Amino acid sequence: MSMLTATERAEITAVARELAHRELAPRAAALDAGGQDVLAECWHLLAGLGLDRALLDEEHGGSRLGVPGLLATIEELAVGDGGIAMCVLLCNAALATLAGEQLADVPAGARWALVPAAPGTELAIADGQLDGRVAFALGAHGADGLVFLLGGPEPAASAVAAGAAGLRLERDLAQMGLRAAPAASAELAGADCTPAPGGSGAQGAAVSVASAPALLRAGTAAIAHGIARRAYEAALEYAHARQQGGVAIIEHDAVSDMLSAMAVRLACWPQITADPAGLAVEEAQALVVKIAATDAAVASTTDAVQVFGGTGYMVGTGIEKLMRDAKYCQLFPEPNWLAHNELMRSQPAGRTAVKARPT
Amino acid sequence: MTSIAPERSLREQFPRLARRGGRLDVRELERLRARARRFAEVHVRPRALEIDRRTGEDPGWFDWDLVRAGGEHGMLSVVIPKPAGGMGGLATQAAVVMEELCAACPGIAVIFGAHALGISPLLLAGPSQWDGVLAELAGSERSGEPLLMACAITEPEAGTDVEDPELLARARITSHARRVPGGFRLSGTKRFISNGSVARWITIMTATDPRRPAQTWTCFLVDTRSEGFAVGRVEHKMGQRACPAAELTFDEVFVPDERIVGRDGDGAAATMMVLACSRPPVGAIATGIARGAYERVLGWLEEDRAARGLLGRQHVQLALAGMEEEIHLARQLYMDASIEFDHTALGGAMSHPAVRALGHVPASVRGRAPVRGWLASDRARDAAIALLHRTTSERAVTRSLALSSMAKARGGDVAMRVTGAALELVGLHAGPVRAELEKLWRDAKLTQIYEGTNQLNRLEVYRGLCHRETIGCLPPLRAIHPGTGGKAHTNTDARAHLEAGALSCASVSGGGGES
Ligand SMILES: Cc1cc2nc3c(=O)[nH]c(=O)nc-3n(C[C@H](O)[C@H](O)[C@H](O)COP(=O)(O)OP(=O)(O)OC[C@H]3O[C@@H](n4cnc5c(N)ncnc54)[C@H](O)[C@@H]3O)c2cc1C
Repeated sequence: MSMLTATERAEITAVARELAHRELAPRAAALDAGGQDVLAECWHLLAGLGLDRALLDEEHGGSRLGVPGLLATIEELAVGDGGIAMCVLLCNAALATLAGEQLADVPAGARWALVPAAPGTELAIADGQLDGRVAFALGAHGADGLVFLLGGPEPAASAVAAGAAGLRLERDLAQMGLRAAPAASAELAGADCTPAPGGSGAQGAAVSVASAPALLRAGTAAIAHGIARRAYEAALEYAHARQQGGVAIIEHDAVSDMLSAMAVRLACWPQITADPAGLAVEEAQALVVKIAATDAAVASTTDAVQVFGGTGYMVGTGIEKLMRDAKYCQLFPEPNWLAHNELMRSQPAGRTAVKARPT
Repeated sequence: MTSIAPERSLREQFPRLARRGGRLDVRELERLRARARRFAEVHVRPRALEIDRRTGEDPGWFDWDLVRAGGEHGMLSVVIPKPAGGMGGLATQAAVVMEELCAACPGIAVIFGAHALGISPLLLAGPSQWDGVLAELAGSERSGEPLLMACAITEPEAGTDVEDPELLARARITSHARRVPGGFRLSGTKRFISNGSVARWITIMTATDPRRPAQTWTCFLVDTRSEGFAVGRVEHKMGQRACPAAELTFDEVFVPDERIVGRDGDGAAATMMVLACSRPPVGAIATGIARGAYERVLGWLEEDRAARGLLGRQHVQLALAGMEEEIHLARQLYMDASIEFDHTALGGAMSHPAVRALGHVPASVRGRAPVRGWLASDRARDAAIALLHRTTSERAVTRSLALSSMAKARGGDVAMRVTGAALELVGLHAGPVRAELEKLWRDAKLTQIYEGTNQLNRLEVYRGLCHRETIGCLPPLRAIHPGTGGKAHTNTDARAHLEAGALSCASVSGGGGES
């Protein structure tokens, strides 16, 4: 599958930036309030740009963005709203594990979600039927289909259409962050499923099941980075506008120190590199980037609320939402302390966690 | 839910509490703590999530039943002086109660905390202000139809600026009080006022001359049934939702002279005193939030099937130990700051024979016209200030304010760290405990913002402890007293004279000196 050129990718990223600014940011509060209509509206716009199938080839209605292009795009979308960017990530990750004939059954504009294996996920597959329970599946509520990653030594995944008999989804009303990707618990009692093969593209699937968790982690990192960018931009603007002590608050070291720390964290964002086919991120790199970017986003969004003072604590200003969204990035697909564990498990003795960045 | 029962008594944990001559009765404090814990377990914890959800949908929704239940447990009269029918507590009692309630639900707790904050300017202005509204509040609690208070300092254009006397001088104050015959007319807007939409009485700080706010900052007691008072927007907040924060507008609201709290122009110093007294309880709010998160995550790890095996992991053990450590330190800080305020900064005044004597005067006598008249007089207000100068110093209050600010700022950081770490331990798959921890994490953020941002509080620590500055925390003595026919006094003369006034009032009212 031939990928887009760098120029083409840059163009799509610019379109995503514009969309985030013009369409998503103004709807972020409504998305946060859990509005399904507004989610459908936004999804329609995104699908119109092919961002729901960014990893697929043209034959399957895709835009062949490749992983680096997808990550750059969802980072831009996350500047507008982290939750909707998460929907794009989950949909792309899900559809990219499906075989060609499975994709043929997925109508254009459908929203799917990949459900990673995680603590509390107990799934068993037998005779084409899936049993078990997932306590928290991000983006699952209202999705047209789900791809469940099954834990265990051999990577495997199963696709279940939303209306399948034996699948019961219950919306997680307590969900605190990334609320535009509405979460649900999933009860599976003999739910009809088909294996999602993943793989090299031979069967149509763009992403191997084994590399799907790394894609989710790298994508979550990109979303966290987008959220942190938004927090910095908003806090910087406010710090110039708000006056206390007879001057703009940016004149106070207490404020400019926080802003500077945010800028430094943003500058430390590493470029994520993919394999030559542009379809897989190295596992250790994804873990490192996910841990670093989400911790940074939590720190920066918390500081952004602080720069805004009491105003930042109010829901209407959209600043505290960034903090909630960033916190969910820190916890997804697993909390960072478990990601640290994974990282060390993936490192044989004598290897460094990440390769030196190309100069 | 795991509830961490105290293994050591307050006396064992904080020996300074039981210091000879101190004004705190430790057994009474233990009983108060137990009562707050009972109220929290029976009434607060079971309703916390539901109230958070309802107020998330409708910020104006308010649970008066809970306030009544709190009143039955005495939670509304903790800092009302005994002569006015309350428990006679100060910072320490308020703080101990706050930790207990906040471990269950900070939003609900802060209804009672903001009420105490509203009372504190009256409490700290001295016995001349203790009858009237404070007695009415205590009576309303007893009658089962409680009234609430709030304290309004913050304005749209001045948040940090009204929390510090130096900044106040340059603040963009938009509210003001205009002198009219018999009192003042208040106009302007106050913002983010906890309990603002549900309070019957509000202590409000504003300038009588907005061009000279620091010199003319004055505290008024406003009846919210007054013409011209209105509640604007009730804020939709990230957390601590059970306690409404509202915008308040004042349109020529009349406040009679007798409802000036303390003296006209003493508001800047009074604000510092109020903050020295109220920041340790905010440190306790934060400590309670951290403890609530710790108790919940520990309970989940011990009892939930999904957490099986996790307690055996070193990462988890180290995280829990870190939480214990931080909570312990935060508690030590707020208790130290509370005791410093109660014993050292204000203890002398509160345990002064003249003040204690007032407590022995029956309310019926205090209510008689001549005594009431004297208590409301300028002379009585001056006497209270003289007593403060006699029993404490600006340096002592500055130091106390710095310790209070330290407890508040560190507590807020601890609350954020512990709730964040607890949430990380349980992750997104944990079920109901996740919702409780998420709520505490949202609640925690506010403790870094209100009562002055943590940045401002740390600058206060610098000034008071690192730089050893002395801030104007006491209202000045008046060198010329109307009762002396305008004769000038030195400060020392004035002090002796005014204190004699205070003592004579106590004996007029039949109390007599009591040691
Ligand atoms: C939910 C809630 C409840 C509240 N309840 C009450 C209440 O009951 N009564 C009441 O009077 N107030 C109340 N407040 C107000 C609260 O005390 C203020 O929000 C707080 O003092 C900060 O003021 P601000 O929000 O205007 O922020 P700002 O003062 O605008 O501060 C913005 C940022 O600038 C920084 N900054 C400002 N000035 C300086 C300086 N000189 N040096 C260094 N840094 C500076 C701050 O640290 C902060 O990071 C409440 C606030 C909230 C959010």
